[in-house]
Amino acid sequence: MASVLEERREPAVAPSLSARSRRRSELTGPDRALGAALTVAGLIPTLALAFLAYQMVKEAYPAIIFNGWHFFTSKTFTIGNLYAPIQHKRGYAAPHGASYGVLPLLVGTLLSSVFALILAVPVSVAGAILLVEKLPQRIQGTLGIFLELLAGIPSVVFGLWGVYTFGPLLSRTVYKWVDSLGIPWLSGHTGAGEGLATASVVLAVMIIPIIASITRELVRSVPTVAKEGAVALGLTPSETVRYVTIPYVRTGIIAAAVLGWARALGETIAVLIISGNALNIYPHSIFAPFSTMAATIAAFLDSALTDPTGMAVHALAQVGLVLLAVTILTNFGGRLLTRRFADQALPVGRGV
Amino acid sequence: MSEQTTSAVTESQARRPEVTTVGPPVPAEMENPVFVVENLDFYYGSHQALRGVNMKIGRNEITALIGPSGCGKTTFLRCLNRLNDLIAGTRVRGRIDFAGKPIYDPSLAAIELRRRIGMVFQKPNPFPKSIYDNIAIAPKVNGMKVNMDDLVEECLTRAALWDEVKGKLKASAFSLSGGQQQRLCIARAIAVKPEVILMDEPASALDPLATIRIEDLMSELKKDYTIVVVTHNMQQAARVSDRTAFFNVDDSQGVRTGVLVEMGTTHQIFTSPTDQRTDDYITGRFG
Repeated sequence: MASVLEERREPAVAPSLSARSRRRSELTGPDRALGAALTVAGLIPTLALAFLAYQMVKEAYPAIIFNGWHFFTSKTFTIGNLYAPIQHKRGYAAPHGASYGVLPLLVGTLLSSVFALILAVPVSVAGAILLVEKLPQRIQGTLGIFLELLAGIPSVVFGLWGVYTFGPLLSRTVYKWVDSLGIPWLSGHTGAGEGLATASVVLAVMIIPIIASITRELVRSVPTVAKEGAVALGLTPSETVRYVTIPYVRTGIIAAAVLGWARALGETIAVLIISGNALNIYPHSIFAPFSTMAATIAAFLDSALTDPTGMAVHALAQVGLVLLAVTILTNFGGRLLTRRFADQALPVGRGV
Repeated sequence: MSEQTTSAVTESQARRPEVTTVGPPVPAEMENPVFVVENLDFYYGSHQALRGVNMKIGRNEITALIGPSGCGKTTFLRCLNRLNDLIAGTRVRGRIDFAGKPIYDPSLAAIELRRRIGMVFQKPNPFPKSIYDNIAIAPKVNGMKVNMDDLVEECLTRAALWDEVKGKLKASAFSLSGGQQQRLCIARAIAVKPEVILMDEPASALDPLATIRIEDLMSELKKDYTIVVVTHNMQQAARVSDRTAFFNVDDSQGVRTGVLVEMGTTHQIFTSPTDQRTDDYITGRFG
């Protein structure tokens, strides 16, 4: 108590440099330890990403040189004939006939993930708003638990479900109907349901819990007083959602969608199982088999390791590098979008 | 410490708020009330928040609802536009007539009612939209056939905000200061041409200067609107209102329930209240 009073009696002038350094020296051991621990913890994600990127580039480097632009122009991805004479290009060796073209895989990755996003975002947002605004508290809680459980189901289970049950079912029903409409690219042989359409739907089911649970929290955080403002003006519940709830959560929904998109871009095993694993072709219809970058890496890694020149593994690393770049770019794009909308969604009562 | 408290009480006793309401004094008996409230009971679940409220609210008057925290004045205000309907487990008994019709009649649409009774909240709550849209949304969805640009200008002018925002109507409402946001909310409320404006402590989150502007605005608006205002600030009630209703917490029946102690012209309530509790409250002896 006495020391506090003494401190107060100090002249109230602006703290001089020496006073400031004295303040700094007042930091105790635990304070400093906490500061150091937080710095380290804060740096870990950045360092991990930098290290990962460095390792990927290093591993992919021979393939980058060997492939040149061919990597981005060729449709063909094959590790070549491992028993034939070895070919040499730009100082690197690769099996005869080896061709590493990423383009169909890049197209497949983007198409399936974007379709999944187009399906998942409206369902997630509508579901989250319904959950929070319309359902009684008790049902809300129960459904919320199921939503979170859905997010935790291993992707291989989704894959098996897609290939054995859901895909064939869709193929017999929805796909038949869509096909009968005769719209170009939306009609074609629907097969047993393996292909782009089923993969997109299953990816959507996988990312809905991510987007919906984030959106649910956002919708919950919309201030009651903001919604009451709309109701007091005689707006109906749906008008209130349109003019208050959605504008409030828009920025957050974009962020949630980017998170879901990243998941869909990188999903491997479920897509590998459902995609039909078609190589070297672009999907000629929405029902066509295809493949993605992540699925191809998983599918090829085993045989790539038997390549005596090692080029196949380098090429897969290069595919991985492209996937990493796409993921980072989508995150960046999402961030820019969020920032664009951010100034329109500040909390109520700012500047009071 | 105890000395200080005593002197504060003596001081505030001497400081009975001075009534400075703008306009001619209102008659003690009102002829054409907008609201007639009879035996209103209100429950949150099993908790009774209001008991036996009887009140008439006069046309083109400002009625102030005052009283200590928890006395049910905001609950009462929210009964008038059925906003309490939004809260699960609430229940109303008794009768409220608005323009001669019972508002809790099942055949009456609450949405229609709320279009005729505007509301301004304690915290400014503009839509997360542009200044222009904040005014235009409700008239648009209500299907009002008007020139929207003219209506926006008219409402902002009436809310004494036009000069400050006319150059940036497309800017976000959140770019405004708290006081400006509150005036925007008033402009938004009058855009749907209501008959009544309910105000729930409209200035309590604002600085003194912004408060004076809101109070001036209320006096200006009462020419065309009936205003019911909840306020914690007795000086505010004395400054702007024509009639004052004093609510208090009553625990004579074993539970704490809000009751209307007395209502009268603001002049009468602040100079010669009939109930001792009113006198105690307005002279600052409690609350």
